[in-house]
Amino acid sequence: MTATNSFSTAPASPWRARLERPWVRWGLVALVVVLAIVVPLLLPEFANQTLARIGVFSVAVLGLNVVMGYAGQISLGQIFFVGLGAYVTAYGYNAGWNIVIVFVLACLIPAVVGMVVALAAARLGGLAIAMVTIALPIIGVPLAKRFSEVTGGSQGTSARFSAAPEWSGLYDDQWQLYLVILIGGATFMLTRNLVRGKYGRAFAIVKGNESVAASMGVSPYRYKVLAFTIASLIGGVSGFLYMVVIQYTSPETLNFGHSIELLASMVIGGAGSIIGSLIGGAWYVLVPQVTNIIDPNLTTVLQGAILLIVLFFLPNGFVSLPRLLRRIGRRDAPQRSAAEVPQHIEE
Amino acid sequence: MSTFLQLMIDGLSTGSIYAALALSIVLVHQATGLINFAQGGMAVLSAYIAWVIYGLGAPLIVAILAAVIVSFFLGALIERYLVRRFERGDPDTAVVVTIGLLTLITGICAWFWTYNNQLFPSLFPLDTVQIAGAVISVRSLGTIVVIVAIMVLLQALFVGTKLGLALRAVAIDPSSAALSGVPVGRNLMIGWGLAASLGAIAGVLVAPQLTLTPGMMDSALVYALAAVILGGLTSPIGVVVAAWLIGILENLAAVYVPFIGHDLKIAVPFVLVFVVLLVRPQGLFGRKSVVRV
Repeated sequence: MTATNSFSTAPASPWRARLERPWVRWGLVALVVVLAIVVPLLLPEFANQTLARIGVFSVAVLGLNVVMGYAGQISLGQIFFVGLGAYVTAYGYNAGWNIVIVFVLACLIPAVVGMVVALAAARLGGLAIAMVTIALPIIGVPLAKRFSEVTGGSQGTSARFSAAPEWSGLYDDQWQLYLVILIGGATFMLTRNLVRGKYGRAFAIVKGNESVAASMGVSPYRYKVLAFTIASLIGGVSGFLYMVVIQYTSPETLNFGHSIELLASMVIGGAGSIIGSLIGGAWYVLVPQVTNIIDPNLTTVLQGAILLIVLFFLPNGFVSLPRLLRRIGRRDAPQRSAAEVPQHIEE
Repeated sequence: MSTFLQLMIDGLSTGSIYAALALSIVLVHQATGLINFAQGGMAVLSAYIAWVIYGLGAPLIVAILAAVIVSFFLGALIERYLVRRFERGDPDTAVVVTIGLLTLITGICAWFWTYNNQLFPSLFPLDTVQIAGAVISVRSLGTIVVIVAIMVLLQALFVGTKLGLALRAVAIDPSSAALSGVPVGRNLMIGWGLAASLGAIAGVLVAPQLTLTPGMMDSALVYALAAVILGGLTSPIGVVVAAWLIGILENLAAVYVPFIGHDLKIAVPFVLVFVVLLVRPQGLFGRKSVVRV
């Protein structure tokens, strides 16, 4: 995955070359912006809510992608930071603080906690990080139940601050979706710029080989902590959005099972890919809904089976689908001109 | 003092269950280099198989042995037809494959046998014995004895037989093993099969206590993973000692440290793991792996 990301400058296919023309790209950006503005107004309430939830979990998967997909450190605790962000949001709002301050705290507190954990965990080798992070949701659930004055105990706590204001004339679901698109979109843009730049290259080399990274003056320790901190911060953003859309959190939010599902969604979407995070979020939300429609008794079986089938054909997730299709297309059309073929093989 | 002894024995007993599961995780990791999150789920499936065979009228011990054998073949088949495709690929994908397997197996168990708790008969009588004033259940003692016996057998298999030698060769270096004429693929299947059998034993030993549900082994898996990291992935004996340590400490902490209590006792192994790893990143008994650049 890293190879295709960092060395994709060569025009591998006519499609990609076409996509890299400036007016095509700006046209696409404009199209996305227009869609983001128009779509919430047109869709029914249920579709808007589903889209908003996809946005929430896409952001969570994006955070996981930073630490795992880009920096190569297995994290099984991403849901803990989402839950922490949600709890901070609920507590802050119910205490009557300004919502902007609440948002900032919902990002900062998970980031600080993530950094403290990472300062210790990043000293350890690969699987040890996985084990330390696995502990976060597992300890988080009983802790959330224990401190019931702050968290509302097993009952959970709710905060309803995302009703559409009068002046906007929108329905609640539309307003919530706009908030998710705005905050989530900004998070995606910022993260995209981060991983495309100097830090992304540093993450890639830490993932590839720590000794090489160290020999080139890139401290693996520092960048692991950084990746983990950013992932926790993005998790906090996702937690805030969670409260915007779902407006309620309980210890169940932190459940270890959700953390594993996030991980599966990330790999299904495509590790180390921005678009893959979006696909992962959609997977996280949609697959349980679809399997529930097919047969509620078979939900778990179908989820497991679909996951395995997808990975069997697309081990690199859905983002590798175009590449697979191109390869199949090439196999079907072997009598291409010789001048064109070699360019395709070297990919 | 008698409470203390009782807690120790009970802790050893639950620790033995974690140890069996942790050992199967180590077996799979040694053979194929991945952490199998489905190990607990596979153990639950094995316990259900034993339960079904018992329900058909077979004696309990026969049902358990049959389940252990069936599990061996199931594990081998899973390795051959599912996991092998991902063994040389991206490790993240391989981990998610085992997660998918866990979901699938849990779903299958729920589909066939529902989420309702099923009573599973105990292999041991429910009597208790008095030792130094402490009341100790025969079940706890029996569990410990069975697990220790199995560990001795496994050790004998790995150290004393040709098959064990081949398994170790494949674990250390598959390509050299293949060059020396060891059938690598078949040995990987055997490794997974052995792990599944071991899991099956853990499953049938813990089922009477927890009652049989599709999610029965979920928390045991977490403890087993903690034991694996604490003991060090390369040391089977270390893993067993770590599992026992976790079982005992968590029992003692739940009773003697009021803040922890029964809800937070699951934090105990992880705090332990955290502290130990800071001092010894390779685990209590693990070897430091040196990577040539």
